[in-house]
Amino acid sequence: MARMKFLCDAERCIECNGCVTACKNENEVPWGVNRRRVVTINDGVVGAEKSISVACMHCSDAPCMAVCPVDCFYRTDDGVVLHDKDLCIGCGYCFYACPFGAPQFPQAGAFGLRGKMDKCTFCAGGPEADRSEAEFKKYGRNRLAEGKLPACAEMCSTKALLGGDGDVIADIYRERVLRRGKGADLWGWSSAYGLPGQKPGAQPVQPQPQPSSGKS
Amino acid sequence: MRRLVPLLAVLALGVAACSEKEQIAEFKRGKYQGKPDTPAWDNGPLPDTFRGSQWKQGDRASWEESIKKRQLAQHEYRRIYQ
Amino acid sequence: MLLTRKATGQAASQGRLSRGVSGVPAKTMDRRTFLKRSGVGVGAGAVASQLPFSILTPAEAKEEQGKVEVKRTVCTHCSVGCSVDAVVQNGVWVRQEPVFDSPLNLGAHCAKGASVREHGMTHESHRLKYPMKLVGGKWQRLSWDQAYDEITKKLLDIRKESGPDALFVVGSSKHSNEQAMLMRKWVSLWGTNNTDHQARICHSTTVAGVAQTWGYGAMTNSYNDEQNSKSMLFLGSNAAEAHPVSMLHTLHAKENGCKVIVADPRFTRTAAKADIYVRTRSGADIPFLFGVLYHVFKNGWEDKEYIKARVYGMDEVKKEVMAKWTPDKVTEACGVSEAEVYNVAKTLAENRPGFIIWAMGQTQHTNANAVVRASNILMLALGNVGRSGGGCNIYRGHDNVQGATDVGPNPDTLPGYYPVGVPGSWTHWAGVWNIDLDWLKKRYASEAMMAKPGMTVSRWIDGVLEKNDAIDQDSNLRAIFYWGHAPNSQTRGTEMLEAMKKLDLMVVIDPYPSASAAMFAKVRKDGAYLLPAATQFETEGSVTASNRSLQWREKVIDPLFESRTDQMIMYQFAQKLGFADQFLGKKDGKQNIQLVKGKGGMDEPSMEDTLRNEINKGSWTIGYTGQSPERLQAHMRNQHQFDVKTLRAKGGKDAKTGYDLTGDYYGLPWPCYGSAAIKHPGSPNLYDNSKHVMDGGGCFRALFGVEKDGVNLLAEDGSYPKGSEITTGYPQFDHVLLKKLGWWDELTDEEKKVAEGKTWANDTSGGIQRVAMKHGCHPYGNAKARAVVWNFPDGIPQHREPLYSPRPDLVEKYPTHDDVKTFWRLPTLFKSVQQKAVKEEMHKKYPLILTSGRLVEYEGGGEETRSNPWLAELQQDNFVELNPKTAADRNVRNGEYVWVSTPTGAKIKVKAKVTEGIGPDTVFIPFHFSGWWQGEDMLPYYPEGAAPIVRGEAVNTVTTYGYDRVTMMQESKTTLCEVAKA
Repeated sequence: MARMKFLCDAERCIECNGCVTACKNENEVPWGVNRRRVVTINDGVVGAEKSISVACMHCSDAPCMAVCPVDCFYRTDDGVVLHDKDLCIGCGYCFYACPFGAPQFPQAGAFGLRGKMDKCTFCAGGPEADRSEAEFKKYGRNRLAEGKLPACAEMCSTKALLGGDGDVIADIYRERVLRRGKGADLWGWSSAYGLPGQKPGAQPVQPQPQPSSGKS
Repeated sequence: MRRLVPLLAVLALGVAACSEKEQIAEFKRGKYQGKPDTPAWDNGPLPDTFRGSQWKQGDRASWEESIKKRQLAQHEYRRIYQ
Repeated sequence: MLLTRKATGQAASQGRLSRGVSGVPAKTMDRRTFLKRSGVGVGAGAVASQLPFSILTPAEAKEEQGKVEVKRTVCTHCSVGCSVDAVVQNGVWVRQEPVFDSPLNLGAHCAKGASVREHGMTHESHRLKYPMKLVGGKWQRLSWDQAYDEITKKLLDIRKESGPDALFVVGSSKHSNEQAMLMRKWVSLWGTNNTDHQARICHSTTVAGVAQTWGYGAMTNSYNDEQNSKSMLFLGSNAAEAHPVSMLHTLHAKENGCKVIVADPRFTRTAAKADIYVRTRSGADIPFLFGVLYHVFKNGWEDKEYIKARVYGMDEVKKEVMAKWTPDKVTEACGVSEAEVYNVAKTLAENRPGFIIWAMGQTQHTNANAVVRASNILMLALGNVGRSGGGCNIYRGHDNVQGATDVGPNPDTLPGYYPVGVPGSWTHWAGVWNIDLDWLKKRYASEAMMAKPGMTVSRWIDGVLEKNDAIDQDSNLRAIFYWGHAPNSQTRGTEMLEAMKKLDLMVVIDPYPSASAAMFAKVRKDGAYLLPAATQFETEGSVTASNRSLQWREKVIDPLFESRTDQMIMYQFAQKLGFADQFLGKKDGKQNIQLVKGKGGMDEPSMEDTLRNEINKGSWTIGYTGQSPERLQAHMRNQHQFDVKTLRAKGGKDAKTGYDLTGDYYGLPWPCYGSAAIKHPGSPNLYDNSKHVMDGGGCFRALFGVEKDGVNLLAEDGSYPKGSEITTGYPQFDHVLLKKLGWWDELTDEEKKVAEGKTWANDTSGGIQRVAMKHGCHPYGNAKARAVVWNFPDGIPQHREPLYSPRPDLVEKYPTHDDVKTFWRLPTLFKSVQQKAVKEEMHKKYPLILTSGRLVEYEGGGEETRSNPWLAELQQDNFVELNPKTAADRNVRNGEYVWVSTPTGAKIKVKAKVTEGIGPDTVFIPFHFSGWWQGEDMLPYYPEGAAPIVRGEAVNTVTTYGYDRVTMMQESKTTLCEVAKA
């Protein structure tokens, strides 16, 4: 059963912003609305700099959906979180709730008037006729309905950003982890699960699996 | 009288509590109020000039299979060791 | 509300949400930072209300949809050569899809590649839309015919008064191979060698230094081949920003055990992925390289057998390195500790085969011709060159700078590197171009001028400004064509403005007005024309990626607005100037290049004919002869057949033409010797003698003679490409050698007629090459690589301090070259500039090293990419990277404006970006910006509606004098500056 997810492999992300412009290109998102951004941690710090591409994470238990006062959010059978812009009142509550800053508001005017909320749709469009002009104008491209995956993941320069079925992502990522020979830690594992006092980004203390020979 | 005032106070407080409402906010998950949406697989696949994948219209399993197959393009090991 | 709610019977998912921002040090990421740049920035007013440029999608199947086609093209922004599938509906470019089949990029793109569809959008485009002329300081529209008439009249007047050398044509590394070759031809037909392109300021030093070491000055292997590598040293390359998709191969290799070492003055994004990072001083690369080599020799890690068989002069180098580059001297010169240098040496020695990778970091110095040779020597010492997984992976810049260098407008060579100083070159190309050699000779001011290399793009301004008796041609430059080239990538911007004041004529032919237009209009009221050229998506043609593979681009859309393709413009100028027939190779009933209908039904030269009948027929020296349009197009249609690690097709037949792909390497990487008929598969890894020459194998070139001072220069016995019938070294093949070997009669009668008296390089029948390779021999001989290049100013690479050095003590130990009276037609200063800087204590007034480089969002001069809103939004201000100490000492805070000033006396206003990534002695400014001039926004000087969205200071406004001693490369990587709060 397909459940759509994103995973950005911080060992590979080089902050090229390919995902950002791929999204802009495919969905013709206007200036000021950034569905996807690349965040760099410890920029310039020798040995500690990491980048990660962030957009809507299409949470299983989406905070935006939970707090919306007009209940304009829904989740598709694949796990993609979408919303109806016709209902959206631009209150910005989803913006407060989201830990990733995914909701975007096209700003206009000096007082930051918010328009309709816009966010990453996993290139699945929205509640308009699939692949119609109305859907494109409001929500951007519906690539899932064309048998494709999100443009950002398909165009990532180093295949850091993986997007699609969660099981397939897990398989892909697992192969990389095995070849790297490092423990099955996403970057940041040790600060979440490491020992107290351990530096973030440091290698976990538990024993490492043996590196594979690297040959297929 | 002096014993009555504290007694009345206690009684008043006791009674006061009975008419108060529950102060714990209860979260009621809302139901989506917007337009209906159709699943991706209900559409027919496009011609190859659009470079999408092919599936059987309406068949979820065939759409999922085609998506997963396409997703492996993100796994360069596949292309390298094919 | 969320975190304190009491869920009633909901799924047990509470508590997981607090993990959303876990693992993140609070000091560097908070949502405010994350969202900071999502605010409305520059140009938002124009774009905020932009409606999506959409087209009815075919889902609405009921209506007539019009023709939908998909065209396969190649991104126009760098030399990786990522394929793009462009979906075109009714002639409009509506969708862009990744090409997973491509073996080079596997569907991946960087920010620029993912945004190329913007080139096809007409809504709010910042393109130059129609011809314009500067009148009274304002840009006015005029018609093409009017423009042609006025320009050609002016050109002919100038020619009559001052001769053909008064014109300088700056050609383009973004032209296709066909356009680039036609450009060289066009300039030759006009009658001058004063032409150049971006390669001068990019890899000219590489091409010279590397070619003189072992034969060809190009990337020895490929980006793909990095997957077969065990170690990589990035010295002078920020691949994560300049060649992002190459990192796909690099990181894949790293994941499989390859060691990545980055040596750079900055902790770049590439360094962030390194196993070992070493901070070096900008301009001190030879000390570092030879420091590494010292440890290699000291520990006996060099590949002695390899050196004995295939390298000349390594003993001399070893002697010098052991004496001169001891660890203390290395540390003194480049700042790297002995332990770090040793670590690098050990890693490289223990992990072979390995690559050294470079780009501008090594090439843009006054002694860069020596720096690149030091890199070569290191790889030769380790025995890495000529094998899969090892060698010198030279990352070229623009999408076709490799092709333009190979066959395009160079001042000192004709297409294929035939030197202009050798009369045989002209005989050869006059024959290929089917023009009368005597007629051609008369076009030039004299035969002497025809044989003399022209001026370079890095110095055209001196061609205008210098005293007439000091330049080596009759008149100063009076007219310049900026044909697909930006001005802000050349140093000494303030002097360029002075040169523009004196020009009689400037013509800019470009899809965008470029900073040339703004700079010119700032100082002049008239004398300039802007002609809108089409982009590479509006024409077809072949393009050569850095790994020497050729890819064929299909035309996506017709030229937009009033733009015309470059080949049409060249042809139309040729008609007006009177050499249209020669331009098409039309003579004696034969015509090389047929005309095809282009935009608006107007004639333009056929690109396929140009490739098939001129490039393929003339470029024997570098093997651009086997890549016919048919073979290349078959490759583009069948990319999935090519293996990603080896670039080879195991089999397969092209469905459209039946062409058999078996054995071909993707893109037929040059050299692809012989005619298309003999089906040479291309050479993926140069000098690889584990393979037969007809299998892509090779050896080092016999270019430098047979022996030197009694030492054999040919390869030792036993060193030869696999399957060679001659198992010793041998010189290059010519008719004499063939006859001596008794193979002459294997030529057909027709081939014999043409090949008589010729060598492998100018036998246009291809017979000599064919027969040599049939016997497993390499047409250019089998020789040793030279560690000592005796014909260069420094036979063994010497470290020489940059002209503007922060260390007078090192200037004394490692001074630069002497001044040269005439060098590429101009007097060129070295020592006097360096001495003056020392005397005037520039290092005290300007204590910081200023270096410049790339950003991933922009390309080159930047006007094209800064006109793309999707890219422009990501980098809205030019900035200078400052170390926290440097900033604190000057009371500068992150994000504040500062003035950066240099010994030129000019200063630029940029934002301060405070980062630990750069050391306290260096500052970095990206070079892609233009449109501000010393604090002033040049928007009023651009044509209306055609200014880029993002404008900023050009770092080259303040960069200083300094040129390479062999190629006139500019020293943009190292100069001095001071930073002050604005």
